[in-house]
Amino acid sequence: METDALILTLRLALTTTALLLVIAIPLAGWLALGRTRWRYVVEAVVALPLVLPPTVLGFYLLVGLGPLTAVGRAITHLLGHTLAFSFTGLVVGSMVYSLPFAVQPMVAGLRAVDQSYLDAAATLGAVPRRVFARVALPLAKGSMLAAAVLTFMHTVGEFGVVLMLGGNIPGKTRTISIAIFDAVENFDYASANRASLLILVLSTIALLVVYARSMFVTARRRDE
Amino acid sequence: MREFSKRMALLAIFVCLCMSAWAQKKTELRVAAASDMHPVLDIVGPMFEQKTGIHLVVSYGASATLSHQIIAGSPVDIFFSADYVFAERVVAADLADSQNAIPYAKGALVLWVRKPVKASLDLLHRKDLKTLAIANPDTAPYGRAAVFALKKMKLYDALSPRFVQAENIMQAAQFAESGNAQIGLISQTIAESGKFKAEGTYVLFPLYAYPEIRQCAVVMKNSPHRDEAHKLLDFILSEQIQDNLGKVGLRRVQ
Repeated sequence: METDALILTLRLALTTTALLLVIAIPLAGWLALGRTRWRYVVEAVVALPLVLPPTVLGFYLLVGLGPLTAVGRAITHLLGHTLAFSFTGLVVGSMVYSLPFAVQPMVAGLRAVDQSYLDAAATLGAVPRRVFARVALPLAKGSMLAAAVLTFMHTVGEFGVVLMLGGNIPGKTRTISIAIFDAVENFDYASANRASLLILVLSTIALLVVYARSMFVTARRRDE
Repeated sequence: MREFSKRMALLAIFVCLCMSAWAQKKTELRVAAASDMHPVLDIVGPMFEQKTGIHLVVSYGASATLSHQIIAGSPVDIFFSADYVFAERVVAADLADSQNAIPYAKGALVLWVRKPVKASLDLLHRKDLKTLAIANPDTAPYGRAAVFALKKMKLYDALSPRFVQAENIMQAAQFAESGNAQIGLISQTIAESGKFKAEGTYVLFPLYAYPEIRQCAVVMKNSPHRDEAHKLLDFILSEQIQDNLGKVGLRRVQ
């Protein structure tokens, strides 16, 4: 029971992270290195999910993209089912919900890259895209890892959006956070405890790895 | 200076008025009620307040969720469960001021569908039925009744993969109302309420298909407003209300 929910949660987090990185890398590059004046508008929009209650997102995905609106009907037609109550729906919800966690660390990382490296590459004739891909990105790869880890974990910890949008379908939308909620509601403390312990241990290990790595990397840099 | 003291006097009067208004503030009764009671208390609450001056502050949720919160110490004065079991849990936890949970109404399960589709139990046999909203059968009595009825009608095995499960009956109704689920198995109280009546049609499940939904209430032993809570319960048990329960989708207790 809990393993099904755990596997589903990990699958959701992996899918979300992979898809989100594809979007977030160019977006972060544009935000960090671009020259457009209106960047701040996009940056504010990207940060919105940090501020908004997950219920706002759940509400718009459920009703705004539900079969009663034109956009929703188009989506339903394309997918063959509603966005709500499906794994696809959860992926879409999670991608919006975790967007700032993917973009912001990368923007910070890219902004910290020494401008002179980028200028040097440009002087040597590299077009901006090449400067970004071959110089800026490799220098900021630590921040990409941070973004991936944060996105993954934030998606694992998601609850509100899934509760509103999921429909609690085992193997499809019943994530571990929902499984724990259900178990507690049902006075089934034993399985709530099993699932909670599992996620607690896994999360602790994951965070230990991330922080240990960052500590050793810093230490090594200092030694060099 | 004179102007200033005049202002101060005015301010003092204003503060006094505010404080006396505060002191005369109506008694508030904290109510935990099953989601199916939402449309009912929306009607009964103001009637009760007009009669007694007692204002209801209601939290809605699945009966199990509420019983759970109450046992964990949630400060409510009275609990309207949608069944017998979850009200009895509060009694068993020694928090009720009565030996048993007190029945106040009987509920009915319905199949609700958006217009222009006409509600009929035959819809459950349709091949193109992909999503069917029910409330969580572990925590919501109407969800449990829905599962029971479908099993009795030998439809459960075919339909259970198409369930979308909501945390309470109001959310199940919302799933169907927003068009995300094609059909909702919900309480008659919700199906009878304004929005649902305007936007869809419903049909009752045969009463023999599921065990009676006997909705029970308990007044909390430690409530500072026990008298007021009993007033509310007596009001709902009065002939005036019991005779009219049919209008809100409930049946009388006797």
